Amino acid sequence: MELVFILICGGLAAIASLLVIFARSTLHSALWMVVSFFMVAVIYVLLHAQFLAMLQIIVYAGAIMMFILYAIMMLNLRREQDERVPTRNIKVFGLIALVVLFMELAMVGLRQGIEALQGPVTDQLVAAHGRVAVLSNFLFSDYLLPFEVASILLTAGVVGAVVLAKRTK
Amino acid sequence: MIDNQSVYLAISAVLFVIGAAGAICRRNAIVVFMCIEIMLAGVSIAFVTFSRANQSLDGIFMVLFIMAVAAAEAAVGLAIFVLMYRKHGSIDLDKFNLMKW
Repeated sequence: MELVFILICGGLAAIASLLVIFARSTLHSALWMVVSFFMVAVIYVLLHAQFLAMLQIIVYAGAIMMFILYAIMMLNLRREQDERVPTRNIKVFGLIALVVLFMELAMVGLRQGIEALQGPVTDQLVAAHGRVAVLSNFLFSDYLLPFEVASILLTAGVVGAVVLAKRTK
Repeated sequence: MIDNQSVYLAISAVLFVIGAAGAICRRNAIVVFMCIEIMLAGVSIAFVTFSRANQSLDGIFMVLFIMAVAAAEAAVGLAIFVLMYRKHGSIDLDKFNLMKW
């Protein structure tokens, strides 16, 4: 039952991602992207990472897609001009390399008998304290420095975006 | 190992390769940007899978920071696209050879 659900979500995510690539209009690409993000969020729920699934929907499907839709609106893009640029050799070689990469990834993923570590976050711990409590305990102790660095990065990103996009007189 | 671990990893590999193929083939900068986000989503699924398999939160925090970096990247990247559009009137990546010598 669970397997069927995973396969449906993964298949929908893959189809939506393919449609992002094949859609003619940038706006349609962006909307298929939202579908893809939602499906990834469902996969996170199946992996017992509910908090991450919520963040995925709020940050990606909410904030980042908003950014992208605003950019599409401001750029006033026409449908991609079809100048029929001849396909470069480098693209063909790139795709071949990707097929090889996919086979390698599949081989690693299908390998059997990998010993899993027995980490500290057991199901009993999560059941006793709740998932978000365990998560925040780790975030504000072991991961405090990366957390602060991420906040500085976001501030720098916002300032950088404003400085870049500002019209100079 | 968790149930269906290979299936999750297969989904992650499929998403990564689809994103990379789009990033190679498309010429519209915004679509290439979205394809990179798809690649990040694929990697994130692998991180969460291994995080659950190893009963550890490290993978989940990795994904959290990937999200933070992706948000900053979106803000700066889209500002650059707006700038490129103002300068050249298009965001066709094949037309940009600023770094070419």
